Amino acid sequence: MRRVVTAFAAVAALACGAAVLKLKLVVQEKADDVRALAAQIHDDREAIRVLEAEWSYLTTPRALQDQSVKFLALMPPKATQVMAEPDRIPFRPKDADPVEDPGVLLPAASNQKDDKKTDKSTRNTKGHSL
Amino acid sequence: MNAVPIRHATILEGERKSAMEVARGRLMVAAVLFMGAFGVMAVRTVDLGLSTPEEKQTTSRQIVVPPVSVARADIVDRNGEILATNLETASLYANPSEIRNPKEAAAKLVSVLPDLSLADVEEKLSSGRKFVWLKRKLTPRQKWQVNALGIPAFAFEREEERIYPHGRLAAHALGYVDVDGNGLAGVEHYFNDRLNDHDRAGEPLKLSLDIRVQYALADELEAAMSAHRAIGAAGLVMDVRTGEVVAMVSLPDYDPNNITGVGDDERFNRVSQGVYELGSTFKTFTFAAALDEKVVTFKDGYDATQPLHVARFTIRDDHPKRRYLSVPEIFAYSSNIGTAQMALDLGTERQQAFLSNIGMLQPTTLELTEVGAPIYPASWHKISTMTISYGHGIAVSPIQLATGVAAVVNGGHLMPATLMHTDHAGQTSRQIVSAKTSREMRQLLRMVVLKGTASRADAVGYRVGGKTGTAEKPRAGGYDRKALISSFMGVYPMDDPQYAVFALLDEPRGTKETFGYASGGWVAAPVVKNVILRTAPLLGVAPKKEDQGLYQQAALLIEK
Repeated sequence: MRRVVTAFAAVAALACGAAVLKLKLVVQEKADDVRALAAQIHDDREAIRVLEAEWSYLTTPRALQDQSVKFLALMPPKATQVMAEPDRIPFRPKDADPVEDPGVLLPAASNQKDDKKTDKSTRNTKGHSL
Repeated sequence: MNAVPIRHATILEGERKSAMEVARGRLMVAAVLFMGAFGVMAVRTVDLGLSTPEEKQTTSRQIVVPPVSVARADIVDRNGEILATNLETASLYANPSEIRNPKEAAAKLVSVLPDLSLADVEEKLSSGRKFVWLKRKLTPRQKWQVNALGIPAFAFEREEERIYPHGRLAAHALGYVDVDGNGLAGVEHYFNDRLNDHDRAGEPLKLSLDIRVQYALADELEAAMSAHRAIGAAGLVMDVRTGEVVAMVSLPDYDPNNITGVGDDERFNRVSQGVYELGSTFKTFTFAAALDEKVVTFKDGYDATQPLHVARFTIRDDHPKRRYLSVPEIFAYSSNIGTAQMALDLGTERQQAFLSNIGMLQPTTLELTEVGAPIYPASWHKISTMTISYGHGIAVSPIQLATGVAAVVNGGHLMPATLMHTDHAGQTSRQIVSAKTSREMRQLLRMVVLKGTASRADAVGYRVGGKTGTAEKPRAGGYDRKALISSFMGVYPMDDPQYAVFALLDEPRGTKETFGYASGGWVAAPVVKNVILRTAPLLGVAPKKEDQGLYQQAALLIEK
């Protein structure tokens, strides 16, 4: 009985010691992780500031208008096209035929874009072969 | 076996045994006590781990993220769009005492930074000093290229640079900063201490501007300015209920990112700093004062058959009708003769008091340091009363005019013009005309667009009202008939005024499209119309069918 108790105590002490050591290491590791994460968050926040400024620069109304004129077939809405009460959309008149959706892209612009893409890719392959 | 030795032995053994037993027993007691204590501690440890509320556990382990510190707060528009921000850059310096071959180092450096002069860099690098600045504020790419040179004597100092992502847009409202980040113009200067306040650097300064409206106004003004070969232009969009300036454009403008070589003409803010004799737009105030003081009613009228001769001056009409005109007609056809007579009936004192009350005689309260003081005669003679009634002999800034007109149409509440975004409107308002006068003025302003001089401002669906203004620019000893200041002050929608739009062109010239005319109704009114058509959907003003009954009272009194 006594031996059992002694043996148990010894084993328990060793196990406890090992567990505490392990716990300490894990906690240290977690604390390092937290510090690294905090530093990462800090860096990300700084990067976000830069990205926000860049977004603002790239979406400045003048740039958007230039892009829109180049690629989109959209025109500014006329007063008759703006609905004052959007929760009351009128039904389509019965005799009116459904109009085909012309899409928002300029046909020329979308073709051009494809051309450019192919141009680029051919140029790239040329570059590689050289 | 012998019983005695056994007994003896047992006695001996028993005695020894009992002593050992006692010792062991005591030891056991101590051990059990210790184990019990350890057990209690173990149980308590587990208990602490399990029973502590989660919030308490997490709060004690608060993660501290090092804050992103910037030297100067951002400036954003009313929708949170960034107008000015501080970004990190690097400035290049060198330790020349560590450089063995200054010539080679200088040549290498100039090859990646071509805007530096070779001789200058060479001289700096061969100076043998411990520290020389080479270039401030490098782009990330330049920094990378300099690092790629592999010269250890080059090093970087972290610095911040003020960036205006929208470039020229809103340059006059924002202003610019010097190389050390101190504001030199615009809100950058006016709020310099607030922006540089270390405790509030993370909190952006929110302006009342809307960058989309700002662009629409700038774009239209630029187009009109080049079409009419004007030397300058100014424009303004204001919320008439709060006095917030939604857009403010002065042309020619500059790029605040790079202010080297920008002249005074570009830096001059024509909206707040420039004071102009604005001409007939000023009639709005004469009529508001006369109607409010009950000097005239819509039913009255004045004879405008002959030009008026006062002292050595002659007052003529730009659009002469040569007949008796009713009050709404005088306004719609912009008759100087009629307005001057009305001003005489109003009287110099009441006119002066009204103009002072509405802020025409004091500089605007706008949050800019570039604010021009109005110019008006020191002694206000009878002839001054007459010319001032139609906007000559008094020079005010466009922002003052817009503030005044906004007050006349919004029910009579004078809202000080502001560039700050405000959520609560109408706190510091002052009643300057009665609600009834305001209602009548709205009719008159709408009539100018429907039947009068500003038909080119009628943005269909948006019920625009307004007043044109065409003034000759003063020259030494008189007025220059060729050099005009043409403007239009528009407000919409007229049944519930929300926004005032102002456009001014400095020395416009007539074109084929305008049949050679360069007056406000021909050159400035279309700008306002286009701006309204472009921005009303952005500002949430819905087009709708007009209630003709609103203007009937004035409309019936206007004959073609």
